[in-house]
Amino acid sequence: MIRLECDKRFRELIDRSFVEGVSEGERQLIHDHIRDCDGCKRYVELTARTIRGLREFTFTSEADSNAQVLEMLAHHTGTMRQHNVQFKIWAAFAVALSMSIVGSAFVYQVAKFLAAPMHFDTAQVQAGVLVFWLLPSFCSALCLLAAPGENRGIA
Amino acid sequence: MTLNTTAETETAKIARGLRERDMELLADLVERCQHRLVRYLLYLTGRREHAEDLAQETWIRVLQRGSQYNGRQRFDPWLFAIARNLAIDYVRKKLKAVQTVSLPNDRDAMLLLPSSGPSPFEAAARSEDAMRLAGRLQILSPLYREALLLRFQEDLSLPEIAQVVGAPVTTVTSRIYRGLAALRSAFEEGGDSPGV
Repeated sequence: MIRLECDKRFRELIDRSFVEGVSEGERQLIHDHIRDCDGCKRYVELTARTIRGLREFTFTSEADSNAQVLEMLAHHTGTMRQHNVQFKIWAAFAVALSMSIVGSAFVYQVAKFLAAPMHFDTAQVQAGVLVFWLLPSFCSALCLLAAPGENRGIA
Repeated sequence: MTLNTTAETETAKIARGLRERDMELLADLVERCQHRLVRYLLYLTGRREHAEDLAQETWIRVLQRGSQYNGRQRFDPWLFAIARNLAIDYVRKKLKAVQTVSLPNDRDAMLLLPSSGPSPFEAAARSEDAMRLAGRLQILSPLYREALLLRFQEDLSLPEIAQVVGAPVTTVTSRIYRGLAALRSAFEEGGDSPGV
């Protein structure tokens, strides 16, 4: 072990110069000090050698490592896109279904108002809304699930 | 100023590419970072086969959580932080499967559990000095090994290392100093003092 004949704070300053960086003044201080102090000079050399040694490790990856990663990523991207499309389809279906139910209630109110002067009874209005609004809109929502992905305009 | 602007543009481009799952950008990132990612995981786990597997897992996580990268900081620390979390979870899972003793609650403590098998550092040493360090590196605490790698091989700043390891800058600095002290002894006369 290097003997700590110098002030411990000096060694800390040397360490700091390698790890965190020091001011120009502190650098000059170290420079001046190690000119006269063999212990600290050796400390600086050993620290520099250790850091240099750390940079002299070369880890070689498997030759096709990058290709394997890219292939795996491409596969995952495809799967994720597919899941994403599925999610969007079900979300669109849910929205379409809600709209057809909410819309039916609105259309029923309008139809009831318009049918009153023409003396249609409630059952007739309800049948009309069912045939001309609720069923077509419900079928449209179902079509979202049935049509192939590329024709849905979602993917 | 120009360099800063370029760096911002670069990270913003990466963030956008990750959000859009741009395969071209991912290929570029893999080309640039895979080697370093494997090296980092090797320093962290001390096992070659774990490092390769975890690197693949890390890229999948990058793909899945790419939208979480905000592009305001450098990509590398973000990538290493993901890899680190996966490494800890991997070690935890592996140990749970093979032993019934209770595992430490502290996530970092998972990395301190001993690993067996041949040293990958000796095979990677490219100089006499590196060979002398290899033995020390194998027995050095992974937390110190990790800090030394991030500082002196990846050239990350201390706040960036703190971001990766999820610890205060003072802790990171202390780990680097202690790691350096342990390795420096490899070059000192009769330098066979035990690793940290």
